[in-house]
Formats: sequence, C-alpha cells, structure tokens
Amino acid sequence: MKVVTGVVGNDIHVVANRLIDISLQARGFEVFNLGVNTSLEEFIDAVVETDADILLISSLNGEAEGWCRDLQFLRSEYNLREDVIFVIGGNLAVGEAKQDDIIPKYRSYGFDLVFHQVDLNTGLDELERYVKERA
Amino acid sequence: MSLLQKERDVITRNEYADTFDFAEIENFIANAPKELFITHHFKKRDRLLVQPRGGFPTYKKMFELYETFMGADIDVLPLTVDSNTRLNDYAMAQKMLRLSEENEMDMLNGYPLVNHGYRTTRKMITHFNKPVSLRHGTPDARLLVETALASGIFEIEGGPITYMLPYSKNFPLDKAFLYWKYVDKVCALYSKLNEPINRESFGPLTATLVPPCIVIVIQLIEMLLSLEEGVKSFSVSFSQNGSMMQDVITSNVLKKLAREYADTFGSQDAIINLVYHQWMGAFPRNKELSDQLINTNTVIAAMVRADKIIIKTRDEAFGIPTMQCNAQSVANTKYTLRTLKGLPVMSDAEEEENLELEVRALMDAVMNDPADTLWRKVFNTIKSGLIDVPFSPHIINHNAVITIRDDQGNIRIIDKGKLPLPDRCFAYEKSKVNLPESKTEVINKIIHDIGAML
Repeated sequence: MKVVTGVVGNDIHVVANRLIDISLQARGFEVFNLGVNTSLEEFIDAVVETDADILLISSLNGEAEGWCRDLQFLRSEYNLREDVIFVIGGNLAVGEAKQDDIIPKYRSYGFDLVFHQVDLNTGLDELERYVKERA
Repeated sequence: MSLLQKERDVITRNEYADTFDFAEIENFIANAPKELFITHHFKKRDRLLVQPRGGFPTYKKMFELYETFMGADIDVLPLTVDSNTRLNDYAMAQKMLRLSEENEMDMLNGYPLVNHGYRTTRKMITHFNKPVSLRHGTPDARLLVETALASGIFEIEGGPITYMLPYSKNFPLDKAFLYWKYVDKVCALYSKLNEPINRESFGPLTATLVPPCIVIVIQLIEMLLSLEEGVKSFSVSFSQNGSMMQDVITSNVLKKLAREYADTFGSQDAIINLVYHQWMGAFPRNKELSDQLINTNTVIAAMVRADKIIIKTRDEAFGIPTMQCNAQSVANTKYTLRTLKGLPVMSDAEEEENLELEVRALMDAVMNDPADTLWRKVFNTIKSGLIDVPFSPHIINHNAVITIRDDQGNIRIIDKGKLPLPDRCFAYEKSKVNLPESKTEVINKIIHDIGAML
C-alpha cells in the first residue's frame, strides 16, 4: 500500500518523521515522505499524484489544528478517491489537552484515525488493524 | 573599487542597519585590543577556554548577562542572535525589540544584532574587553557578520553546510555556499589588520546519531572552504557522541587530518583549533542529573584536549536558561577543569585506523568530483548522497544512512546509503553490532539510542 507522510505546518521536527518513514517501510508500505514544513495542500497534491491509499500527517509543535481544518473542503475540491485513509498523530495541541477533547475534534475535520501522544508502534499497529478491517 | 567592495556596499545599505563607515571600521579593528581576539587567547594554549550560549533582546539585559558572566570568570562571551535575524527578517526583529523594551519582557530568543547596530554594540563589547563569539544559524549571514565584525566580535560560527543541513528544509544550498564565501572573504580581509578573525564550524550537525566520519568530513570541507578565501584561524568542532572512546578517536583523527588537509591545500600558516560541545541531544528533565551530564562532558572535553568547550545548563530541557543559571554553569565547568590534572593520553589504534580510512574515502569522493571549484564539488557530493547527514530536514539530503549504537555506545553505520565507504570499513562497522531480528525492534532501539542521556 502507498502512504504519503510528512510533518504539517511550520514544524521542523524531523526525527520522528524519519522514524515513521523507516517504520512504515519496515512494515511493507511504499512511502512517499514529504518531510517537514508541509502544507495540507501539498499533502493532498501528493495523494493525487501518487494515488496513495493512506495519508499520514504528523505534528510535534502542537500547531496542527490550524493547518488541518480544511481537510474536508480540500477532499471534495480535489475529488479524492473515497477510500483514502486519513491519519494524524503526534502532539496535537499546544499545552496540555485531554484525549477526549482532541480525538472527536480531529475526527470532525475528517481524520479516520487520531493519535495524540501515542507511541509510534502502537499507532502503526492500530493503522494496520484498521486497514485489514476495511479490506 | 573591487567587486567585493561593491557587493559589501549593497549588502550593508539596509534600512534596518547602521550606515557603514568602512574606513572607521578598519581603523577600529586595526587598533582593537588583543584581548578581544579569541585567536590571541588560542595562541597561548594554556587552558581550555569556556564559553556558554546566550543572548537577550535588549541592550540593557545583554549588558547584565555579560556582567553576570564576568562574575563567573568567563573566557569567551557568547552573542546569540534571535530567530528573525537568522531569517533576515529585520522588520519583525525591530518590532519585537521595541515591544521587549517597552514591556520589560523578552519577545525575542536572542540579541537582534543588526537592529541594535555596530555603533551601539561595540560600546558593550569594548567595555567588557573579552572575546565574543557570534552564534546564529543563518544561511545568509552577510549583513549580520559585517555588523558583528564592526562591533568587535572577532569569532564567527557557522558555515554553508553546518548551518543549512540541520536547520532548513529548502533554502538553496548553492546560494548558501556563495553567501558564506562572502563571509569568509570579509573575515580574511580584516584578518590582515590585527590578530586574525577566527571562523568556527558547527560539528554537532543534527546531534542525532551522526557517525564520526560524516562529522569529520564536513568539518574538513568547511575548513578548506574558509582557508581558500584567506581565513587564517579556524576551529573544527564536534559534540559529545555518547561513547568516550569514540569522542577520543574523533578528536585524534580530526586533529590529524585537519592539519594534513590544511597543509596540503597550501595553508601551512593557518591556525587550527578544536572545539568540543557538551551533549547536544535531549537533556533529562531532572536538573541534578543534567548537572552530572554536564560535568561528565567537561571531563571528556579535557580528555580530547579541546581548545574551547561550549557548555549547556541544567535548564536545557526547559528552555532558555536564566543568566544566573548560565553563569553558574560556567563557574562549575571552570571548577571541574581546575581540578582535572594529569589526564592520560588515550587512543585505540584499530578504531582510529578504521575512522581515518572512512574519512579519506569520503574526502576522495569529494575531490574526485569533476566540478571546477571546491564548493561545486561539495554541492554535487551532497546532492548525490555521497555525503549524507542522518536526520537532516533538508530536501537535498538523501537520508539513506542509518546508524545505531553498539554495546559500548559507539555510533555504527548499519545502512551506508550511497556513502562511498570501503568494504572493509563497512564490514567493520557492521561487525560491532548485534541487530535484533525484527525491524520494529531495530527502530525501537534507534529511538532509544537517540535519547541516550534521558
């Protein structure tokens, strides 16, 4: 399966991004890594261009929300395939925040899976399970 | 008028900068006290110079910081500039400086040197009469460095690779080479007037499992790029790696090859210094443990016979340290150094030989590139992945090299990407690690190895 990944917004935290890249490859995914400092529009462009099955956005500096609100809008504007899986993970709020507040919020923006301060491999295990269930 | 002078006139004519009076600046540098030149202190080679990091937005607070440092018997004062200045956004720096002055609150994470200007800053620097080191992270540092030199700051950190690959996603690397060429030319020009201006490279790079061979090659390249413009004093550097043995052999090989390459390229008269950075990765959130880590680092700096150590503080995990905390760290480091006597000379012949072979192979790859100038050769080598910095965010970097720690904490290359390592060297690297069977476990180990000091 093809995955587009990268870090959204003005966020230069590259270490986790590289680890996500290596981990996805180790799990047999074909990875298109856009790296740090990526806008939502660039992500969607890449999904179209590569005909990806999954978009996995990460964020560490907590500013992801402002960058991802338009997901539904862009999704319809670009006429994306219906079955693309949208995933976001990392540190999804500035300062302390509750899982119960964050997960529904990002779901409402159009993300199928939301991982706030979740260990990388736990998140990827869940992604694989989700892919299997959907198939 | 020379082409360089024409360029300097254009660069320094900026609405946010002082009006440059080059004749007056030359006169100032020619007659500046020797104490201001770190090169003067390096020449004595009588002790390991201690330098912290630090910069505050307002003149008043910067002055206080220097006063506090002087109380800790500091050797080299830092001048760290703010993030807007690093990105040449002097308008934003101006706005934030005004807000900081009016509200007695720090709205910038450093001293906006260009906005303060050289006439003002020079008063502070000549008042304290200590060498000052410019710390930044700027791809286009032309105006910043002109201002620094005119202020009496006679050590300039940075370089086209070390201030680019760890810090930027898409600033064009070829432009960075040309902008740093300008910086080196101006430093060389002023070096003829008094003691030489010292240039320093930033060896820690991403501070994330970077193998010693990559660090050394990039140090040698930035050194050669500066020397070819006429720089006469250069500091190569690296940071604590996580294995004391690897620190020692990195120092031995780096010192040996820096001298050798400088001589081979016709710079027998250049002075080469070694700078050691205390741990540049993530610090523990426990301040007492941070003090222990800092102390261990100081011991290693002495072991590797560095000429200068750049220190951290117990506040590292929490953000910018207070001036008192920063000065305490200087005093602690100076105490440790005073008590360390009779250090043994250490080496590991097999490790050193392997590292030297790796570095020579990478340097040969650079030199054998068909381009006509050194910077173009280096550019091509990075572009084609023959030089590859682990965990760089820059789009030009290949990110194909994968490293991990062995049982002794040494960083080993387990996937060499396109690095032109000799087969026997790569076999040696791989023979040192027992990799877990599953790839997920390997990745978990890498995550663990990155946070080695947590």
